[in-house]
Amino acid sequence: MRLSDLLRLSIRQLLRHRRRYWGVMLAIALGTAGFITIITMGRDLKENFNRDLELLGRATLVKVYFEKLPPYQHQIFQQSTLEALRQMPGVKDASLAVSTFWAQTSLQGQQYGFSLFGADRAFFEVCGLSAQKGKVFGLEENNHRRRAVVLGPELARTLFGTIDVAGAELEIQQDIFTVSGVLKDVGLGDLRNFAFVPFTTAQDRIPNISYPNRIYLRCSTWDDVEKVVPLIPQVIQSQQYVQGLKVDVAWDQVKRVQAIAFWVELFIFSSIAATLILGGVGIWTVMMAAVRSRTREIGLKKAMGAEDQAIMAQFLAEAVCLSFTASLAGSLVGFVVVEITSIMINSHPAQGLFLFCVFIGLLVAVGLGVAAGIYPSLRASRMEPVSAIRYE
Amino acid sequence: MNNLSRPPLVNGPLIQVIRLSKHYSNGHGVIPVLRGVNLEVHPGEMIAVTGPSGSGKSSLLFILGLLQPASSGNYQFLGRDVLHLSRADQAEFRRRRVGFVFQNCDLFENSTVYENLEFPLVYAMVERHERPARIASALEMVGLAHRMGHPANRLSGGERQRVAVARALVNQPRVILADEPTGQLDRQNGHKIMDHFEEIVALGETALIVVTHDSQVAERCHRVFSLEDGILYEK
Repeated sequence: MRLSDLLRLSIRQLLRHRRRYWGVMLAIALGTAGFITIITMGRDLKENFNRDLELLGRATLVKVYFEKLPPYQHQIFQQSTLEALRQMPGVKDASLAVSTFWAQTSLQGQQYGFSLFGADRAFFEVCGLSAQKGKVFGLEENNHRRRAVVLGPELARTLFGTIDVAGAELEIQQDIFTVSGVLKDVGLGDLRNFAFVPFTTAQDRIPNISYPNRIYLRCSTWDDVEKVVPLIPQVIQSQQYVQGLKVDVAWDQVKRVQAIAFWVELFIFSSIAATLILGGVGIWTVMMAAVRSRTREIGLKKAMGAEDQAIMAQFLAEAVCLSFTASLAGSLVGFVVVEITSIMINSHPAQGLFLFCVFIGLLVAVGLGVAAGIYPSLRASRMEPVSAIRYE
Repeated sequence: MNNLSRPPLVNGPLIQVIRLSKHYSNGHGVIPVLRGVNLEVHPGEMIAVTGPSGSGKSSLLFILGLLQPASSGNYQFLGRDVLHLSRADQAEFRRRRVGFVFQNCDLFENSTVYENLEFPLVYAMVERHERPARIASALEMVGLAHRMGHPANRLSGGERQRVAVARALVNQPRVILADEPTGQLDRQNGHKIMDHFEEIVALGETALIVVTHDSQVAERCHRVFSLEDGILYEK
């Protein structure tokens, strides 16, 4: 029997008995769509979860600094070190910061003291901070050394009695700064009483500001933290000689988030596996039913000269076509879901990964079709022609 | 090269069966069905086998078509032993040499007339472009060329059996084995089927062995055999 005839006859058979196969096809299609979506969007979804989880904790934030040394032994991070850290796989971004524990402002004749941070263009993004009023500063303010300041909400209330102070002017160390925004409360911790000015402005205008001796580094996902952290000293040493380097990670939070993610992933993958297994069992059942209901047909075909292998190939091809077609439909559904999810979470999953998932999905479907169809096909092929012809 | 691809003998019988026996074992003992059957069939012959129900007529037909093994004896087709062929060669024998027609007008219900006739050609690996002409030719022999694209399940009983005959003919077999081909047809349609058989056999290449209860069908055959208690008598 020619392969072209085999495929043509199998597809014809499936089309003519399509009602019989709807349920099975749906299960396989959903399983494939789920598989493609989870694998293709997995990393983007993780990053999205990561961003949201950062509101509650700082699992993927890594702080790199130096052990406290006497003032004459101060060490600084160089810009090239920062760039090297930004290039590390698994690192989303990194930020260099300067600080002073004591800055002063005079407002309506009263003196207020607070801590001050000099933050580069990536600081707020890396630390997961955003403004509830006004906006945070970034590249432009750093490039132009603007006198802009972002306030912690507590500090804003202390100084102005309100957080609605975007655009207000504030004297810091006898220099006038414009308030560009006030940070949200969530995830701020002890930064509620801090003020933030552009890194370059701080270096120019704030006396007693520290050397650039701390780097904040954001990993793409919590899984990356374990991979990135051991490499940080090596990367830094490759750029500059340092002593007393410290790397702080909230390991408890990382482990907890990983545990949650593990169970969620396990649940999702189990569901997909269960769906596909159900699809396989479905194929097995419908093919067994088909063999039973087509017993006379099998007998007739043998009387026409069909060999055992031809009968077996016929039923096996039907099972494979069934699962392959369902998987193809699932791939289309998966494509649509991936597109919609990408728009919703504003991500750009790799097209290669999607195509790889489609390929794996189709491969699994073929395997499923063969595994589920092999026994019914064998049974059909081994039927004695006379018993099959006489079957009522 | 398999056992069937050698050129057939020109002279001599198409089928030669010598002392063919068949028995079934059912756990309580052996039930004989055919006892030492001898039969010789020549191309262009119409043979009828009659006998009471359960006398082994269909078993004989199935053994001749290699759908069922014999218990003992000798069966030569065109001078070659075909009783001991492998399963694959038996299938090849059925594809190339035999056309079956069954009592129940067994057509593939969800297929058209064309598709029904295409199956034997598919198994015989006939090129796809050759199939329409061969199917049309077979359908013309039974007067149903105009029904080629018709769904099988919308045909009348008589038409269905004529399609079954055409399907048996489409691979140009040397022998047609028909098991009660008119059993479910009215007299008029039964006659039509026999007319077609006569036309086909008259061409001289093909023989017909028909198992029947119908004396009118038997009367139209060249020779009539009766099978009783597993023994085949020529009437």
